[in-house]
Amino acid sequence: MLDSIPSFTRLVAELAKFPGVGRKTAARLAYFVLRQPEADADALAEAIREVKKNIRFCSVCFHLTEDDPCPLCTDPGRDERVICVVEQPQDLLAIERTHSFRGRYHVLHGALSPLDGIGPEQIRVAELLARLKSGQVEELLVATNFSVEGDATALYLAGLVKPLGVRITRLAHGIPTGSDLEFVDDATVFRAVEGRREL
Amino acid sequence: MFMHITVTEAIVLRHVDYGEADRIVTFLTAAGDVWKGFARHARSSRKRFGASLEPYSRVRVHWRPGRGDLASLQQVELLALRDGLRRELLSLTLAGYGCELAMEIVGEGGHQPGMFAWLDAFLDHLAAGGDPASARLLLELHFLQLAGYIPHLLHCSECFGRLGDPVAFSAARGGSLCDACASGRGEVTVGLATLGSLSRCLRGRPEQIGEIRLGATTLQETRPLLETALDSVLHRPLKSKKILEELLRNDRERT
Repeated sequence: MLDSIPSFTRLVAELAKFPGVGRKTAARLAYFVLRQPEADADALAEAIREVKKNIRFCSVCFHLTEDDPCPLCTDPGRDERVICVVEQPQDLLAIERTHSFRGRYHVLHGALSPLDGIGPEQIRVAELLARLKSGQVEELLVATNFSVEGDATALYLAGLVKPLGVRITRLAHGIPTGSDLEFVDDATVFRAVEGRREL
Repeated sequence: MFMHITVTEAIVLRHVDYGEADRIVTFLTAAGDVWKGFARHARSSRKRFGASLEPYSRVRVHWRPGRGDLASLQQVELLALRDGLRRELLSLTLAGYGCELAMEIVGEGGHQPGMFAWLDAFLDHLAAGGDPASARLLLELHFLQLAGYIPHLLHCSECFGRLGDPVAFSAARGGSLCDACASGRGEVTVGLATLGSLSRCLRGRPEQIGEIRLGATTLQETRPLLETALDSVLHRPLKSKKILEELLRNDRERT
């Protein structure tokens, strides 16, 4: 049926390439675009073009940026001595939202995953090591995910960084703020008990 | 239509993210089956599955037939998270290797009774900080045996005659070769004592994995033997093996 409207079919096919978007959702989005004024559709197309044209990776921290180095790497108010390592740019944004960290960042763009054949060469570890060897950094805060891959990456970094004399720390994990213990999963409670601290 | 819920004990071999919030999880069940289940909202809701879908965990899966080949996961109880694996990179990588080896040897939809007990004991042993080298050898050896691919060890695989010392070994020709049958091509050399150790290891039970500690010579001589035997069974090189070998090489260089 839709084959008789090639431009519409093409839009559905393109939208269906997005993560988490199946053909049904893609068709719904395409209908939405169709109903929008032409100016809005142009603005969407222009925004996509601009993103592809202007955004690149920062040559220092590998976060997404329009200016290289990125504002996070050039901000003089940030502490040069601490680098927070994250897996993906969205993880950096999650930490920035909290306003709890005022150091620099390093985005690995992945994590070690033996089952997927992803080793240290496939992520930005060499670039991190080069930054650490500059001598300014005193602490590396590893904020990779608390998954098998994130933990493997943290252990690998610890092995690399400790001989350099740089302090290495890992994000704490435990009971989410505002939650009742009885509803928290066993593994989280287990790790919260293991990671308990003095009051 | 009411569909009965089945409860199965299993090891989580791996998971892959699907769509916005779902996961497809691969299990090795206690009965020795490798199958996949669909965990709806596994990533968006920690309440439903929590950490129970983390790889290498032993779990109790409540499932019902889903659409297509995937089972629909209703609930997954965590029996053993094996948190100790996350203290050593080598243990974590080796755990991944063991799981990938099980997946490859059994194959999706395949059935291999006995493999669960060995993988379960192997993961428990690593999580408790046990010797990784001997455990790896035992796992590989018993996986080969369970799959029916164990090479002939203490007699010539071609003429069933007595072996000399050292022994020529060729996985392609079925295992050990006597001096008369050995051709010198595509063979590895191994001591008769090492073959004796391997033969004794084959009589071990999974719960003894922590009690067996093999010497450096046995481990060293056995590696190429097992490599060739596994290569002849596996359909593709294991992704985790490349990372594991790199890690072991770095460790050797450091020491």
